[in-house]
Amino acid sequence: MAPNLHLAHVSDVLLTWTVFCYAFAMLGYAAEFAATRRSMARRDASGLFARYLSGVRLGRAAVALTVIGFGFHIASVTTRGLAVHRVPWGNMYEFSCMVTLVAVAIYLALLMSQPLKRIAATALRRPNAHLISWRSRESVRYLGAFMMAPVVLYLGLAGTVLYAAPGPLVPALDSYWIKIHVVAAITATGAFMVSGVVTALYLLKERWERGLPPLRLALRRRVQAPLRPQRVSVGPGTAAVAEMNARSGLMQSLPSAASLDRLAYRIITFAFPVWTFAIIAGAIWAEQAWSRYWGWDPKETWSFITWLGYAAYLHARATAGWRGRKAAMLSLIAFACLMVDYYVVNTVITGLHSYAGIS
Amino acid sequence: MSDTVLDDDRTTALSTQPDAPVRAPVRTPLAALRQLWRQLTSMRTALLLLALLALAAIPGTVIPQRGLDPVKVNSFLAAHPHLGPLMDKLSLFDVFAAPWFAAIYLLLALSLVGCLVPRIRLHARALRRRPPNAPRNLTRLTASTQWDSDEPAADVAARVHQVLRGMHWRADVREEPDGVVTVAAEKGYLRETGNLVFHVALLLLLVGIALSGLYGYKGTVLVGPGQGFANARLDYDVFEPSRLFSNSQLSPFSFSLQNFTATYQSNGEPTAFNAYVSYKSSPSAVARPFDIRVNHPLNVKGAKIFLVGHGYSLLLKVTNRKGQVEYDGQTPFLPDNSQFASHGVVKIPSLGGKDGQLGLTGEFYPTAVPTTAGLVSTYPGLDNPMLSLAAWRGNLGLNSGVPQSDYSLPVGGLKNIGVKDLTKGESWKLPDGATVTFEGIDQWATFQVAHEPGKRTVLAAAVLIIAGLLGSLRVRRRRFWIRAVPAAAGDPAGRTVVTAAGLARSDVGGFVDELDDLMAQIGPSRAGDAGTERD
Repeated sequence: MAPNLHLAHVSDVLLTWTVFCYAFAMLGYAAEFAATRRSMARRDASGLFARYLSGVRLGRAAVALTVIGFGFHIASVTTRGLAVHRVPWGNMYEFSCMVTLVAVAIYLALLMSQPLKRIAATALRRPNAHLISWRSRESVRYLGAFMMAPVVLYLGLAGTVLYAAPGPLVPALDSYWIKIHVVAAITATGAFMVSGVVTALYLLKERWERGLPPLRLALRRRVQAPLRPQRVSVGPGTAAVAEMNARSGLMQSLPSAASLDRLAYRIITFAFPVWTFAIIAGAIWAEQAWSRYWGWDPKETWSFITWLGYAAYLHARATAGWRGRKAAMLSLIAFACLMVDYYVVNTVITGLHSYAGIS
Repeated sequence: MSDTVLDDDRTTALSTQPDAPVRAPVRTPLAALRQLWRQLTSMRTALLLLALLALAAIPGTVIPQRGLDPVKVNSFLAAHPHLGPLMDKLSLFDVFAAPWFAAIYLLLALSLVGCLVPRIRLHARALRRRPPNAPRNLTRLTASTQWDSDEPAADVAARVHQVLRGMHWRADVREEPDGVVTVAAEKGYLRETGNLVFHVALLLLLVGIALSGLYGYKGTVLVGPGQGFANARLDYDVFEPSRLFSNSQLSPFSFSLQNFTATYQSNGEPTAFNAYVSYKSSPSAVARPFDIRVNHPLNVKGAKIFLVGHGYSLLLKVTNRKGQVEYDGQTPFLPDNSQFASHGVVKIPSLGGKDGQLGLTGEFYPTAVPTTAGLVSTYPGLDNPMLSLAAWRGNLGLNSGVPQSDYSLPVGGLKNIGVKDLTKGESWKLPDGATVTFEGIDQWATFQVAHEPGKRTVLAAAVLIIAGLLGSLRVRRRRFWIRAVPAAAGDPAGRTVVTAAGLARSDVGGFVDELDDLMAQIGPSRAGDAGTERD
């Protein structure tokens, strides 16, 4: 069936709106972040509250924009699917749109989960509502700006360089496995993207907590001895917290390194089995389509390398001396491998997975 | 208390290496071996090997590989006469079959076995053991709370024990000599079980891969329209047996190609390929129809048949000057490009009498368009089919004993006696009296037959890998204790002081919520409990 070009155009327009919403949301998050930081730094009671309030308003507006953008995003991929009469993940452009959709969905889910639990606890008037203080209640919203930046970049790249005209699937992709293998790959990639952002923030915050300057001065500082002995990220002690509060900086308003590390780990423990499943489902599909379940095709190999990278991260996290920074670096390397798997393998290295659809 | 925690660290940490390796001087060779074994099975080595395996795989995606594209490898070798052979010696064109690549994953497997065996033993022991005693000072744990109760200590403990058992905790009530009653509970043994299942499944995966590599076979065959194929080694065009393959492994199935269809979009992109075959799983079985497509292979007993290629097959007839038919049959033409401009040949050993041998070379264009450089095909479908033939006389070398290709004719010593473009149904009378007729157009298909005896093992391993991973990553190993201290003897107003604490052995979020739920059922809200709760 010929693609419905009118509907495809509607999908393209919706995607443009999506990108605009996300971009402005990113600015909103960044503004909130900056406002909160300044109010924390100044510490004058009158100004603090006003600035804090304006920051919160900006943050809430950013969340609203994210939700509206998310709505456009869903509408865009849905209309694309209706226009081409198939699942809307048949080439790189469509795949990128889906990955970012998953990433934003995960971010929104993280944003929702904390307040929801608190509301549920108070609504039920549970006698143990006080126990909720056991939980670190750091706002996920501070991640917003850092989360939206790669999403906007990814979508921008998808809409310009990777854009593919609407059309049917090539016979090799025309199988129900596209719904299983590719959905798993999309979900895992979206989740790894979120964990990548959180891990990068963890590394920055961890440096800050150790009293080191951020990456910019990393090279110059390396020759000097660290200000304090290295600490494994189990969370700072009371004295250290007081010391940190005395310092100010962009990093201060970020959640603690320990909780960022935990969040990244939680997301990876979700994404890693999904990624494993994607590889296995891909192997089953390959067995049907290409007569072998594994052939060391570049895509297969890089997916395997990515898998090894995250496996190394999970092992490192359980090994003394590798916990914390080193493990986080491994996780970022694994994410870099995933990006090679996606961008470089699809466009530069020729293999059986050449479905980029870029002309 | 510290003992139990230490012990537990050993069961839940991923390495079997002792916490503090004893650095005794190495005296005997046996001790040295032991040291080496401990090094190999340590987590650090596993990490290193994982990283090495990933690094070793990278050249296989950058350098052309024989298994993927042998043509590219040959052109690379031709372009790099010095570097090429050196790289070949290092197996850089067969990375995934290279001895150094195998060395890494076999070492990893060995390290895994060395790590798994003691852990399985430890876990089996942990599964039988009761939860460890409550620590003396529960309030020192991060997640703890304390309240007073009018209930006697034993009643509190019994109630908590019941609730915990209802929530599938493994729980014990213990009474200490001074009247203190404790409840110790543990949950989430599935984490380590999953972890072990996952790693054992990885080894099983290797076994499955090895099985296929040792006993499987793979072959490709081109089948013309109306022609058949029986699963015998000689019937294959290309046959790749494994190391321990024997002919008895070829199951006796056969199939014939009834019809092949290909459909294309207007831009020439294919939309569907269908090979309609009739197959028998054994010579005595009933013939059944099947439609082999891309993504839709035919499963017969002992093998899978895949559609891997297709092309045009032309029905050509050659008669000699007396009108006797010398050749009449399907002639497969091999595609040269995506628009299916194809080439094929006919070789006739004798035209009868003293006329000698005749060779025909042809170019076929499914949608022929004339250009200044001759005919080209602009669409893979049959919009304007045209056959461009050339006829050759001379010794075709058919009796020379040198094996010849069915699809090419070396025209070096031959004499060209004419060239002609034919449409379907047209005949061409050669200058020496023979006649060539272009009778019809059909399509052939190539099939790959693959037998992989380890496939089921690999699939089972894959399922276990996922199941194990979910258990190992998504289940929390956690402990919960209650310590009920009875009121001092002779104090009528005295109340039982209850302390509760939880400890997550792995930091997947959500434990706090679980504790919330738990506390909601057993906590200080009960009648007679005072509100002196503390975090």
